[in-house]
Amino acid sequence: MLETSIFIILSLFMLGGSIAIITNKQTVFSVFGFLIVMIGFGGMFALLDNRFLALAQIMVSVGAVVVLSMLAVLSVNAQEKNLPNEPYKYRWIVFSSILVLPFTYLIYKTLSSLAKEFTTNGFTSKDIGSELFNSWVLPFEIVSILLLTAMIGAIVIARKDNS
Amino acid sequence: MNPDMFFLLASVLFSIGLVGIISRRNLFIVYISIELMLSSINLILATLSKLSNDPAGSVMALIIIAVIAAEAALFLAIIIHLNRLKRSIDSDDFKELAQKGDS
Amino acid sequence: MLNLIVTIPFLSALILALVYLSNPSKKREKLYASVGVGSILITTILSLNTLYQVVSSGESINTLLYEWISIDNFTINLAFIADPLSAVMIGFITFIGLLIHIYAVGYMSGDEGFGKFFSYFNLFMGSMLLLVLANTPIIMFIGWELVGLSSYLLIGYYHKDGANIKAANKAFILNRVGDFGFIMGILILFLVAGSNGFTFTDIESGISEVSLTTLSFIGVLLFVGAMGKSAQIPLYVWLPDAMAGPTPVSALIHAATMVTAGVYMVARFSFIYELIPNVGEFIAIIGVSSALFAAIIASYQSDIKKILAYSTMSQLGYMFVAVGLGFYDEGIFHVFTHAFFKALLFMGAGAVIIAMHHEQNIFKMGGLKKELKLVYITMFIATLAISGIPPFAGFFSKDAILISAYTSGYTTIWVLASLTAALTSYYMFRLLFVVFHSKENTKSLVKLTPSMTVPLVILAIGATLAGFAQNGFSEFLSITNSSLNIEHSLELMLESLNVVLALIGMGVAYKLYSKDAIEAKANTLVKKVIINKFYIDEIYELIIMKPIVAASKLIANVIDPKGFDLVIKLNVWIYRSTGEVFSKLQNGLVRYYALYMIIGVSAMSIYIIIKLGV
Repeated sequence: MLETSIFIILSLFMLGGSIAIITNKQTVFSVFGFLIVMIGFGGMFALLDNRFLALAQIMVSVGAVVVLSMLAVLSVNAQEKNLPNEPYKYRWIVFSSILVLPFTYLIYKTLSSLAKEFTTNGFTSKDIGSELFNSWVLPFEIVSILLLTAMIGAIVIARKDNS
Repeated sequence: MNPDMFFLLASVLFSIGLVGIISRRNLFIVYISIELMLSSINLILATLSKLSNDPAGSVMALIIIAVIAAEAALFLAIIIHLNRLKRSIDSDDFKELAQKGDS
Repeated sequence: MLNLIVTIPFLSALILALVYLSNPSKKREKLYASVGVGSILITTILSLNTLYQVVSSGESINTLLYEWISIDNFTINLAFIADPLSAVMIGFITFIGLLIHIYAVGYMSGDEGFGKFFSYFNLFMGSMLLLVLANTPIIMFIGWELVGLSSYLLIGYYHKDGANIKAANKAFILNRVGDFGFIMGILILFLVAGSNGFTFTDIESGISEVSLTTLSFIGVLLFVGAMGKSAQIPLYVWLPDAMAGPTPVSALIHAATMVTAGVYMVARFSFIYELIPNVGEFIAIIGVSSALFAAIIASYQSDIKKILAYSTMSQLGYMFVAVGLGFYDEGIFHVFTHAFFKALLFMGAGAVIIAMHHEQNIFKMGGLKKELKLVYITMFIATLAISGIPPFAGFFSKDAILISAYTSGYTTIWVLASLTAALTSYYMFRLLFVVFHSKENTKSLVKLTPSMTVPLVILAIGATLAGFAQNGFSEFLSITNSSLNIEHSLELMLESLNVVLALIGMGVAYKLYSKDAIEAKANTLVKKVIINKFYIDEIYELIIMKPIVAASKLIANVIDPKGFDLVIKLNVWIYRSTGEVFSKLQNGLVRYYALYMIIGVSAMSIYIIIKLGV
């Protein structure tokens, strides 16, 4: 009962945040919506008894990604007049949501045919850790290289050309 | 609390992200919508992990979070670079690959 | 040996052409003359040898040169047959050809295209021999076409004058019209009778099952080819214009040999024409009409070569009367004698033309009998021959035809043919008297070389004596099936009637033309029509040429750009606009590309939902 109500509140926040993302003209407001959605995700993970994942979500997604996005948005500092003017924004949104509907329905139906109840007790972070460093060591190492590459790439792309 | 709720939420958030990619011209919004889609996949993975009592799902979700971070850096770097090129964050301004029509 | 007879002229034509083309401006008349005449000399010797062999052994000679087509049991080989008909034809063709070649050496001397002329001339000889010696209609048709080609090349020999080219085109095109009928005839013949093979003997054996209507059709179609080649009504209009070529050409091609190819063809296909006497009557009617028509026109012509051209057409009409009514031996005999005196007439006319500095209007000549004695005597002999006065050759051959026509019951044809004989005598003697007898009009004359005068003498001897070969000729050829039973007295009466008619013609001409020769003026309507050759050329121009040209203009200006081009442009426009529509989809905006992907995904999802019933 408690979990359900927490879930409903959190999901309402997330839906509102995502609607805010896609409908706002000002970029900063969309980033605020993004922030709310990411925090909501963290909550969802916590509801699923997945402490490590919730923590990772808050630390990385909220603490790094959202902050970085906010930084980028504010440093671009687009004036009101330079923002793209999208006269048909709402028509597009309505049209694409109709388009996307069958796909959503398909995903939901497929996934919900898996099981009807949570039956297990869950696992601890210890299990996640041992799984990560036993069978998933290779992806772990590759991800670290990926992060290095991304860092270098971002610096190369974004630096000023002083020629 | 049953998995259906989580799945429903995840699908809806995914589709909202999809709508955001198609409808908006502001590059930042496009980026954020992509992140939204990725995170909803994360949610599905976590739910599946709890359903099947297998930590492998959570590990996958973890790795995807790492990828999200990397991709954030790159994407935003590109946006900043494009803004420097054309002083605009409107995706409709970048049309160099359009079909040059002569009748 | 027959292989050699056909290939030697072609080979020498090739050699002459190559030598001439290597340096056209160098004068090598002796070389050209020796190669050109020499090859024909060899061919003549071989042909006379062949004739002697066939006469003495009584059997035909068959030789194979080259296996050409051999598909299952359809074989066409380049093979030759020398049965009596072919042997006789090659005998006199090569002999007269040789004499005309020698004559041409003198006539064309000093001309800058000397080598070209002899190359074409030899090409013609080879083609004619190919035509006559072929043992299958297909090879005969190849020869038929080649003589048409040589005729075209030689008529247009003086190519710097546009009118000559037009005449050459006219000859070739009218020939082609006839050839269309000929090819249709051969094709149908092959379809109905060609199951055993396609040589003449094979066709003859396969002919019995064919229905008479099909055979009549074939016969008429083959004769259409003969109409074109042998200048009968209605495809004759090229022959007078063909006189634009040099006189040796007129002598050889348009008098002695090529124009007789049609008669040869009918004789060769005698086994068909035997079975369809109606078509034969048709041929005879065309023949006698052409003969009379040409004789009327010739009586009013002033150009010496044109008179002779119409005379050729008239005599060809006689030949077709003969072969049409089934008297093939008599027809070929007239071909034989006609070759002698017509070639002689043309060569004499050529001598006169050269002597008068290329003047061709007879009313500008006169009283030449003193200066050109030899030419006068030989032409006098030839004129006597063509008029049918004994004992010269024409008497025997013409008489045979007229008597055959009378006794087989075709009285109208006999009357018209006899009338034509009188007219023939009249206009030929008119020519003779105007040129040689009447008021003197001679300026200085060019001296004639022996190469031009000696052949005249030889031909004159031939024209005198050839008639006596008649009986041996008929026995030798023996193609004619019908035999005439005629009382000797009746025969004598008819013969004397012919002689009387000829003498009347001569007398009238003598009275009118031997003292003063005045050109006829077109003062009455009848005279105007006849002098203008019955306006046939103009009628053809109006009825046939103008509609065709108008239709071509219509197609080129209206139907082609507006009709076909419209359809093609429509096609192009459809592709273009479809492409443009699709190119608008590629507007460079990534958003739209994502939209297209989502559309696809959505369609697939709908399909899965509906089909799999999720």
